[in-house]
Amino acid sequence: MHDTKIHMLYSVTHATRYRYDAPVSQCQSEVRLTPRSLPWQTVVDSRIETTPAPAWFDSRQDYFGNGVSSFSIHERHDRFSTVATSHVRIDPRPVVSMDAIAWEEAPQVLTKHAEPIALEAFEFVFDSPFVASGPELMAYARPSFDAGRPLIAAAADLSHRIYAEFTYKPESTSIETPLLDTLRMKRGVCQDFSHVMIGALRSLGLAARYVSGYLRSGSDHQGGEASHAWVGVFIPDVGWVDFDPTNDVMPGTDHVTLAWGRDYADVTPMKGIALGGGHQQVEVEVRVQAIEA
Amino acid sequence: MNNARLPSKATREREWVYRSPQDGQWDELLHGSNHFRPHWMRLAAGLRRMGYAEFDKREETGQRLIQSNGITYNVYGDPQGKERPWLMDLLPLAIGASEWEQIERAVAQRVTLLNAVLGDLYGTQRLLYDGLLPPELVFANPAFLRPCSGIVPRNGVYLQNYAVDLARAPNGSWWVIADRAQAPSGLGYALENRLVSARTLPTLLDRCRTRSLTGFFDHTFEALLKLAPEGIAEPRVVVLTSGPHNETYFEHSFLSKHWRVPLVGGDDLTVRENQVYLKTLAGLDPVHVIVRRMDDDFCDPLELRGDSLLGVPGLVQAARAGTVFIANSLGSGLVETPSLMAFLPMLSKHLLGEALQMPSVATWWCGQAEPRRHVLSDLEHLVIKPTFPRFGRNVEFPARMSADERKALIARIEAHPAHYVAQEQVDLSTTPVHTHRGIEARHVVLRVPAAWDGSGYAVLPGGLARVSTGGKSLVVSMQLGGGAKDTWVVGRVSEPTSEASRGPRPSHIEIPSTELSSRVADNLFWLGRYAERLEATARLIRVLLPGLSGEAAQGRSAAVDTTLHFLEGLQLLPKEFQDSPIARQWWRLQGLLGQMVFDADHVSGIGWNLRQIRRLAWEVKERLSLDTWRVLQQLERGFSSAPPMNPDRRFVAAGNQLDDVVIMLAAFSGLLSENPTRGHGWRFLDIGRRVERALQMIELLRVGVATAPYPDDAYLDVLVQVADSATTYRSRYLTAIRTRFVLELLLTDEAYPRSVAYQMAALLDRVDGLPRPAALGSPITEHALASRLRALVHNARIDELKRRDTRGKRLTLEAYLQTLRNGVIDLSEGISARYLSHSTASRLTPSI
Repeated sequence: MHDTKIHMLYSVTHATRYRYDAPVSQCQSEVRLTPRSLPWQTVVDSRIETTPAPAWFDSRQDYFGNGVSSFSIHERHDRFSTVATSHVRIDPRPVVSMDAIAWEEAPQVLTKHAEPIALEAFEFVFDSPFVASGPELMAYARPSFDAGRPLIAAAADLSHRIYAEFTYKPESTSIETPLLDTLRMKRGVCQDFSHVMIGALRSLGLAARYVSGYLRSGSDHQGGEASHAWVGVFIPDVGWVDFDPTNDVMPGTDHVTLAWGRDYADVTPMKGIALGGGHQQVEVEVRVQAIEA
Repeated sequence: MNNARLPSKATREREWVYRSPQDGQWDELLHGSNHFRPHWMRLAAGLRRMGYAEFDKREETGQRLIQSNGITYNVYGDPQGKERPWLMDLLPLAIGASEWEQIERAVAQRVTLLNAVLGDLYGTQRLLYDGLLPPELVFANPAFLRPCSGIVPRNGVYLQNYAVDLARAPNGSWWVIADRAQAPSGLGYALENRLVSARTLPTLLDRCRTRSLTGFFDHTFEALLKLAPEGIAEPRVVVLTSGPHNETYFEHSFLSKHWRVPLVGGDDLTVRENQVYLKTLAGLDPVHVIVRRMDDDFCDPLELRGDSLLGVPGLVQAARAGTVFIANSLGSGLVETPSLMAFLPMLSKHLLGEALQMPSVATWWCGQAEPRRHVLSDLEHLVIKPTFPRFGRNVEFPARMSADERKALIARIEAHPAHYVAQEQVDLSTTPVHTHRGIEARHVVLRVPAAWDGSGYAVLPGGLARVSTGGKSLVVSMQLGGGAKDTWVVGRVSEPTSEASRGPRPSHIEIPSTELSSRVADNLFWLGRYAERLEATARLIRVLLPGLSGEAAQGRSAAVDTTLHFLEGLQLLPKEFQDSPIARQWWRLQGLLGQMVFDADHVSGIGWNLRQIRRLAWEVKERLSLDTWRVLQQLERGFSSAPPMNPDRRFVAAGNQLDDVVIMLAAFSGLLSENPTRGHGWRFLDIGRRVERALQMIELLRVGVATAPYPDDAYLDVLVQVADSATTYRSRYLTAIRTRFVLELLLTDEAYPRSVAYQMAALLDRVDGLPRPAALGSPITEHALASRLRALVHNARIDELKRRDTRGKRLTLEAYLQTLRNGVIDLSEGISARYLSHSTASRLTPSI
């Protein structure tokens, strides 16, 4: 299911526009809109522009190594937009063998965490703000995890089942929809599907992380109209391997990686606190265009 | 205390009797059954000399002091959100100086260790990589604030202040039972307890050579100032509170007052370009040190908790940039997990190269297989706590559970072993406690605060002793109504004299008026308004009530007319009275007025207004002088007892009560206008009073003159009395009451303090004195409004205004008063919008 194309070059534009009923006197924001540099992903350039212009702007790396920009606006305004533009080159990811390590061995590797990389991954076993594991999620995961099944194959199967059993339905959920409601209703968007998969994996003692990013525009995939999200699974001896339960694929050259964390809360692309404003409307527009490869 | 109740000498002797508690427990006072421990000798001898009855009296004095100083502890779950007076037992807990030195060293070592643990976990996390600490305790801990990782506070001081709860084991050695590293309370209460001791037992305190507490406060505050960012010569310090509903709000306001630094809420601060500022009326003032009394995850709604708007957006970023020192550092709650206690001996050796000096209560973290097995096999001897206090601090006692409950507990532990910690059940020591039944043995836990002293940690030479509610109970909790005691470290040889000789602290505080935050200004404005409103209500009822109780039925019927007219006109008549024959029954009206006096829930009644005043005063408590606070307490106390049921006695009581209110309010207003330095604080308070007094007077004129039926003598009479102007009127006009003169006096006479004209002139003056920071724009509108109002009153033509039209109505006057009223409201709202309004923060819809 891997994309096997030679590398891709993308121009990514992510615009977020807020409109307020009442003027805002001050606004402080934190955005995670700069793609990560990865062995298979080269960030050629990346910039963030804001209107009105910020009085203060700063960039740093967060706890998980994601690029974060913070800024504040102190002039009165009633609309506010942030446009992040990047050029990114994506090479094919290394091919992983589907029969590495049996899934039951992974939790032990994590709890023993003899290797630093396992200790680092161990952090992604525990509950996080949006994902609390539990018996229902474990029960949902079970059918994919037959005894002795290789972890990658089991995770791929789980991803496939979510794709097959859940209905992709924008507007049917919000980020506040509790995870168990998503599991029962079996519908939602990429954030919900990713959280379900992460919760199911963690319920078995596996390490799973939330990856935010983009999908190439115009591909047949779902989730291209805004930023996208998928799941990373830690496979001992292999490393982190990604699965996109919304599209039943393993991300390749169609996926641009922005940031990762324990769940959506760690990598929210754009958040902010405004003083004043009253009712607000937000509009998001994402374009990921392939420039010639 | 009256003589008849004094016990005879024989009983008095007996009342000092302290029965030795159960065997197998350590008692603080006695060893064996009747031998004093050496360090109690002086104290015991002093108390015996004093006598039980005298001690009783001193304790009463102490309780009065606590009441009038407003020392309180808020109780969660009280629907009224009311504070409760601090429960202090005057009998101190004594600890010998040499034993204290060991405690001191051990506590200083422990906070040094916990500080080092924080430094590691928010830094390189070597402790996890070296296998010294299970990573679950960090990774699964909601108190681990990832955005704060990598932030190194000045001098590496993550814990600027800390408190430890100690208990004494049956063999006499001390154990640590809890670490408080988030925003530990106790310091302010401990000092306040000591001030009560010093006021009531001064000689004894000195004779026992009790170590003084004030040195610790001054010394550690000095050290705190030095933690301000480098190069700041005069650091600005604030105490950040989560608000008056916090259980220890008294302490927040106490500390702010003690250190003479502003007490602020999250919305008093703002962050611009990495720098924290205090929003004052005069503009933004940089803040360099924040003493945080708000849980850390609430401190920055942008980077921390996503479900709250408390706190200061951008605070984490300012901490990261090092432009502000936050005590304690954001994320310090991480080391409060009781699970850590199981690992401290090893961590101490590893990080400090020393053995841990004072053991923690034996602790097993269920996340590890071996300890878990032990816990499950020995459950009935242990207590179970959540590993992560964020999920609650609920303690479970398996020994008291049924078999089924225990089974359920085991199932919960097995499902989430990492979430549970087991600890040995501690046999707390006992100490004598003075109760209404005499001296009794109660269990005691000692909270000892410590703070950074510039090179290491200083430990308060004393602490907050808390005792259990009953003899058998092991639960020591202020929330559940346990009491507190002062702790005396006694027998020290070289020590300057204690607090006793220092006398009371000055009651005035001088926070420069420019530092006035708009929140405080807003509270003062409303304090002024409610005080005035309360006075107006009290005066109105005081005038109306006697008429209804007149003997002659005829006079009574006239009184019913005027009462109804005033109550209806002032919109004080409840629905069921309107257009109903019951309103004509004088005793019903009398009952209604009684309700306004005695029923605290009667909206716009005395009690209700008093509650508003109390709430506002509580929020600015640190700015009120002790005397102002005492007057308020007294004002309130009058209403705390149930009124008599008998209508006659009730009527008399109401009259007395109203007299008291008016007199106390005069004292309250006098103190208010003198004390908060005659700067902007006073100005906002006074604007509030003038606005309210103007509005009240305009309303009275509308009801008493403009809409009063003909003949209006009775109405004018009530009006003049309510306005407290009967004497003035009589001495000035020497005539029966006339509409023209009433209007002259109460509307247009600018020299008469109760007139509308006087309020307008005062308002114009106050408005012109308001600060004019450029950022707020020109206050020209308010000035124009106030001038216009003043002119409107000045140019009033009384002849026209008092005239009745052909139908006997005074529509001109009505319209005129309406214009005035609207103008005053516009002015009030204009000032509020410019100086006092806080725009509400809102969270941007997080984008995807």
